This record gives sequence, structure tokens and C-alpha cells, in this order.
Amino acid sequence: MDAGSPPTAAPGEPWADLTLSTSEYRRQARRLRSRASRRAVGFLAPYLVIWGAFLAVPVAWGIFLSFNKGGIIGDREFVGLNNWRKVVRDTELRQAATNTAVYVVVAIGVVFGLAIFLAALLNKHRGAGNFFKVALYFPLLAPPILGAMMWFFMVHFDFGIVNVIQRLLGGSGINFLGKNPNALLTIVAVEVWRGLGFWVLFYLAGLQSVPEELLGAAKLDGARPWRRFTKITIPTLRPLLLFAFIVAVIFNVQIFDSVKVLTDGGPALGTSTVVWFVFKRMFAFQDTGLAFATSVGLLLVVLILTLLSFWWSGEHRQRRS
Amino acid sequence: MTASETRAADEDLDEPRFEYDQGTFEAEARRQRISRNIRKVGAYTTLSVFVVIAVGPAVYLISPAFRDSVSLFSYPPEWLPSEPTIENYRFLFRHTEYLRWAVNTLIYATGVTLVALVTNTLAAYAFATMKFPGHRTLFFLVLATMMIPVAAVLAPTYLTVRMIGGWPIIGNFIDLDTYGGLILPSAVSPLGVFMMRQFIETLPSGLYEAARLDGASEWRILRKIVLPLLKPALVVLGIFVFMLTWASYLWPLVAATNNDHRVLTVGIQSLNGQFVTNWGVMAAAALLTIIPVTIVFLFFQKWFVQASMAGALKQ
Repeated sequence: MDAGSPPTAAPGEPWADLTLSTSEYRRQARRLRSRASRRAVGFLAPYLVIWGAFLAVPVAWGIFLSFNKGGIIGDREFVGLNNWRKVVRDTELRQAATNTAVYVVVAIGVVFGLAIFLAALLNKHRGAGNFFKVALYFPLLAPPILGAMMWFFMVHFDFGIVNVIQRLLGGSGINFLGKNPNALLTIVAVEVWRGLGFWVLFYLAGLQSVPEELLGAAKLDGARPWRRFTKITIPTLRPLLLFAFIVAVIFNVQIFDSVKVLTDGGPALGTSTVVWFVFKRMFAFQDTGLAFATSVGLLLVVLILTLLSFWWSGEHRQRRS
Repeated sequence: MTASETRAADEDLDEPRFEYDQGTFEAEARRQRISRNIRKVGAYTTLSVFVVIAVGPAVYLISPAFRDSVSLFSYPPEWLPSEPTIENYRFLFRHTEYLRWAVNTLIYATGVTLVALVTNTLAAYAFATMKFPGHRTLFFLVLATMMIPVAAVLAPTYLTVRMIGGWPIIGNFIDLDTYGGLILPSAVSPLGVFMMRQFIETLPSGLYEAARLDGASEWRILRKIVLPLLKPALVVLGIFVFMLTWASYLWPLVAATNNDHRVLTVGIQSLNGQFVTNWGVMAAAALLTIIPVTIVFLFFQKWFVQASMAGALKQ
């Protein structure tokens, strides 16, 4: 269908009058292409319309408004890089970004460590495997909002189960949510609880792709379990690990729901996160310029991570084939 | 080593090259068996502990859901309701709009799922089987928006919906506090397009090329040939989108503020911290909400797991 150079025939040859001249050939190719485009448009239009209206336009508008003041209530006013200067300087945002970074690093570290450990156990001991998989997956069924609410009844200072037990044992209660850094760590724990089942299944699938013969051979050569794990299993999982890490960062950097339920950013902004900050600036304080600029910043971070993950999985696929 | 293997090894002992005598060999075998059993018990105990942690918080909700909130603070603590009461549920149905929220959630999640399935399949079919100028660029452009967080475009999307709400006619259907305004912006994720395209590309292209040569229209090819083969992929995508949507909070929170369109997550969260939190009612609402999903999940667990994996891997 591509219009390259048309096949030519010397005049006088028998197929000469069956062969299109260059201009005719181009015209036909164009007709074919435009017919293909018209056909495709009908199929693409429904999606592209809502995608354009509710994703592409908002992204562009958000970028534009990050150089303006106002825009939601009251008139818009162009302020150049002012908002961006604020993004760099705002101390509350800096704290929110730090909290988010700490949260992301700790949560992913803990959840990946636990998940690989549990996946290795499940991979070795297959009995009742399905029961364990289903049970571990269970927390993902509840919306994050409800999952976080359940944890009130675990960690509440007065009636949380953990504290009730701790008091029965003679303690004076742990302040999980009203103190820093406890509050942020509690949110890490809740999110680890929610995500663990997913990552266990993820790594279990990865572990099951580790070639059995390789492990058997290493065993015969006298490699101990830990050595087999670090020298064979982990290297086989490595491409999976980096990809999983990027995806996990993208998910976790958006932490909001459990913060909103459990602490609403407190105490003393100790659990404020980037998305929580954007939400407050936008809908509570009407500081829209800063909110838009922060959103665009978040967008950039996620975009870079996404491209990185594409690049990585493409690279990996090439190396495999 | 299984018992029979051990026995086979025992018979080998007759040969003199082994230094073991029968007794030492059996002792060694027993030692290994015991250590294997200990490891097994250890592994299952560890797994069980994590299962208790995973399921425990939800199971424990039963206790506060069926007792007076005041009794939560009693000392010595009460583990199980001493006087079980359904007062919390009575409150939930009489003084909150729980049922309305539940219906809204159903409408919202079903609507998003339907819109996503239809639009994504159509677009994926075009991207997978048709070559038109710029198809690569367009696909890459769509793909680049795959991971955009709801939070990052929350405010501009809000503005867009509000603006469209001001337009004649269309504004009656798409506005803040309408189902259209709630549903459409939640149905834009390119993930489904990507998943379905991957799936269609695994089908042999002869399948639709032959039909094309025979002069069948694209629509007919999609409906009669491709769609029947897509059924499993559609189920997986449908479950994935539904689960993601009914659990979402941020967009419904800003897009539907009145009780007529408020969804469960937003409604239940509004019980938290309004004046004094009624913990019992909150527990009752949370429990009531997760029971139906859990039942559905237990019946279709295989599909659920597949769906969540497909969503994350996208490979």
C-alpha cells in the first residue's frame, strides 16, 4: 500500500498499457490510503473523542494553567514562571514530597522483600497453594478507602486491637496515628498489607519461570539454598524486578486514599503527600496556580517513569529474542 | 526423597563401597526427614500468619459492626459483642443514603466498564489491523498517556467537565453531578486499548485478511470473526475496569458532591469524622460493602487474579 517508486515498464513491452504511470500510481495509492484512514476513523472516533476531551485536553489545560493565577474561581492571569518558582520554594510542598519519597521507598522495599520471601515459600511448598494465594489477595478486593478504615479498628489509640492487646500485656498504648513518624509508618504498613498479595502472585509467576534444571544442577554441585537463591533465582528475576519497581513507584507516588482516611495529612503535615497537597491547594485553599504546577510536575515524573518502563521492556524483549 | 526412594537406597547398601552401615544410614535419613518436616511446618506457619494479617482486619469488623460504639471504649475490652445489636445497620439505612450510594456505585462502575469495553475494543481493532498514515504516531501518543495519574489531571478534568456542563443540550448529560460527567472521564484509560490490541495481534492475520478480500465490511469482520475470539480478554478487561472503578475515590469525590450521585466510597468516608465519628456505623457500612464483592470473588477468583495481573504487566 505504500507509495514507493512505482514499478515501471519500458514502452513497447506488452504490459506497458497495463502499468500505471507515476502520477496515476500516486493517485491510486493516495486513494487507497485515504480509504483506509476513513475506515479507521469510524473505529477510533468513539475512543479518541472521550480520550481527547477528558484526558488530552485536561493535560494541555493543566500545563497552560500552571503558568497562570486563578482560573477556577475568578479571572485567570498570566504569571509566567511564578508558580514554578513557588513549587521549588514552598516548604509545605517540600515536606509533602519528602514524605512521599520516604513512603515510596520504605513501602516498596518492605512489600518487595516480603513478597519475594512469601513467593519463594509458596513456590517450594505447593500444598494448599491456592488457599494461600486467594487469602493473601483478599485485601485488594476492598477499595483503598475501606481497607484503610478497617485499620482504624487495628491501630486506633483507644480501641485498636493492637493497643488493646498491648495494654492487656501491661503497656500504655502506642500512638500509631497521632505522632510522627509513627503515622507515616502506619500508612506504609496499611499499603503494604493491601499490595502484598498482588506482588506475591507477581513474583510467584516469575519464580515459576526459573528453569528447574538450573536449580537442580546447582543443587547437585552442592550449592546451598541461600546461594541458589542469590545466584540463580534473583538474577533470573532481575529484569522483572526493575520493571516491577518502576510500576510500583508510579502507583505509590499517587498515595492519597489511606492518607485521607487515616490522618488527613496530619499530625503537623507529617503524612502530607504530593497528591494530598494538590488536592488541598485546589479544593480547600484555592491556591490553584501552585496546585496546577505541582500536578504538572507529578505528571512529568510519571511520564519519565513510564517511558523508562517502555524502554526497559523493549530492551529486554529484544535481548530475549 | 520419598519413602520408596529411601528403601531403594537401603538396598544399595549391600554393596561394600558405602561406608555407612544400615543403622547410620537410617539415622541420617530420619534426621533429614525431621529437618524437612520442621522446615515445612515453619513455612506453613509463616504463610498462615500472613493470611491472618491479610484477612483479620476484615473479619474483625464483625465485632464493632454489631455492637454499640460506646462499648468499643469499655474496659476490660470486649472482643465479641456481649449484647449484639443491629442498631448500626438501622442507622445506616434510616439516617444515611447508603442504598442510594450503592445504586450509584453500581451505575458508575457498570457504565465505565461498558463505555471502556466498547470504545477500547473498537480502537484496539483499528490499531491492530488497519494501517493508515500516522497510525504509529497516534498509537504512541495514546500509549504515552497510559500511566497518567488521576490525581495529576484531577483539577483540569474538573474544569473541563464544568465547562462542557455549560454548553447547550450536551451539558444536560455531561456536567458535575451527572452520571455522564462521573462516568466518561473515568473511562479514558488507554490500558484497555493496549491490552485488547495485544490480544488481537496474537490472532492469525489470515483470519481477517481473508474476510477482507471476500469483501466483508470491517464492522462485520469485527463482529463475526474477531469478537467471538475476544471473549476471554473482554471478561478479564471488564473485571479489571469494574474493580478499579468501584473502588475509586478521588474523581467521584470532586465530580459528584450531592447525594443523588454520590458513590459508596465517598459516602462511607463522609461518615468518618463528620462531627463525632460513629465507629459502629462505619464498621457496619464497610462490612456490608465488602461482603458481596468477597462472595463474587470466591466464585470467580481465577478471573480476578488474571485480571489484576494483566493490568499490571501490560506486556
